[in-house]
Amino acid sequence: MGIKQTQTRSHGTRLMKQLIIGLLVAIALVNIPLNRHGTTLPDTASLVVRDGLVVKEENDEGIYVYQDGQFRWISNMATFEAYGFVWGDVHIVGDGFLDRSKVGPPLSLLAKCDTSPHVYVLEGETKRWIRDIETFVAEGYRWEDVQIVPCETLRKMPDGETIPPNSGPPKQP
Amino acid sequence: MNDLAIIETILRNQRQFFSEIKQRVNLGQKMRAMIIASLIFFALHGAVMGSSHSVWQALSSAAKLPLLFLATLVICSPTLYFFNLLFGSDQSPTQHVVLVLTAITVTSVLLLSFSPIVLFFLLTTSHYQFFKLLNVAVFAIAGLIGVTFLIRGARLMSDPESEGTQTRRYVVYLWIVVYAFVGSQMAWALRPFVGAPGLGFELFRQLGGNFYANIFASIGEILGFLTVR
Repeated sequence: MGIKQTQTRSHGTRLMKQLIIGLLVAIALVNIPLNRHGTTLPDTASLVVRDGLVVKEENDEGIYVYQDGQFRWISNMATFEAYGFVWGDVHIVGDGFLDRSKVGPPLSLLAKCDTSPHVYVLEGETKRWIRDIETFVAEGYRWEDVQIVPCETLRKMPDGETIPPNSGPPKQP
Repeated sequence: MNDLAIIETILRNQRQFFSEIKQRVNLGQKMRAMIIASLIFFALHGAVMGSSHSVWQALSSAAKLPLLFLATLVICSPTLYFFNLLFGSDQSPTQHVVLVLTAITVTSVLLLSFSPIVLFFLLTTSHYQFFKLLNVAVFAIAGLIGVTFLIRGARLMSDPESEGTQTRRYVVYLWIVVYAFVGSQMAWALRPFVGAPGLGFELFRQLGGNFYANIFASIGEILGFLTVR
């Protein structure tokens, strides 16, 4: 009985020792830079950089989303909300974080309707007509960001300033 | 490693352990074993918490977590001793410290046992608020069980026939409330232990706010009705 109790007792002590050693190894492994980015696992600041990650530098107003290997500035709140982001998604990162990353074209809410060739940037309640393809490309917009919406919806929206400004009266869809 | 055997005795044979404290058997050895073991266990759990941020945060938390518990012990122990003395206790200050150390050691052992779980979540989630609340929950569970040991120990060590036994029991309950408040404020003062994502390493963060408001805000963010910025 005495031997059995001593054996049981040493099991607990042995497990504690093993747990200590195991944790030490795990802590070391987690903090050694092993992955292909040369960062630790998880990488610094618990950020897992993958599509959909939303970040904001501590002392900068701009909010960026990671898409296709680059960070894209979310141009306005309407776009932020339209993409289904909420404030809780925004990771605050240190200043200069984006300097070390590839930054792509800004992310805007672009829309057109089936029966019209015109493309608009949606900002809040208004639509802003983009004058031509050259402007579209020069502004860094991407065709894959253009969403098809009913023409009636676009027609009902009041016009904002054209892109670029002073391009004459905006064309209607 | 004999120190670990003493820790196992606390978990396995509490009655004998508290009886030895009452009879002042090897108090120095017990105190040494509990301090060493809890320092190691807290340091390991702190390192796991800080590993979610960076190696510096891991080292910092490994140093700060033992400091948090031992500093709280130093601050709160005199209150327990003098109040008990006032209500008829015949125990020495060393016995009181050993008794409180028992609760802290049990807390540290439980934190050690939770460390693999915390490590698992560290590797599988990147949600800072969730990770922070997970740690708060782990500390709450470990702390509660730790103070349960303190209550049990105080009861086993006190003479049921002596005057003021019931009052001293209430003193222990009240002291636990004070200990929890001091501990949470100490944790707030020594933060960060986890480290906010994206922010650089900080040994200490500037004072301001309080522990409870921050926990409420974190719950709010997880449930989606509040944003911590």
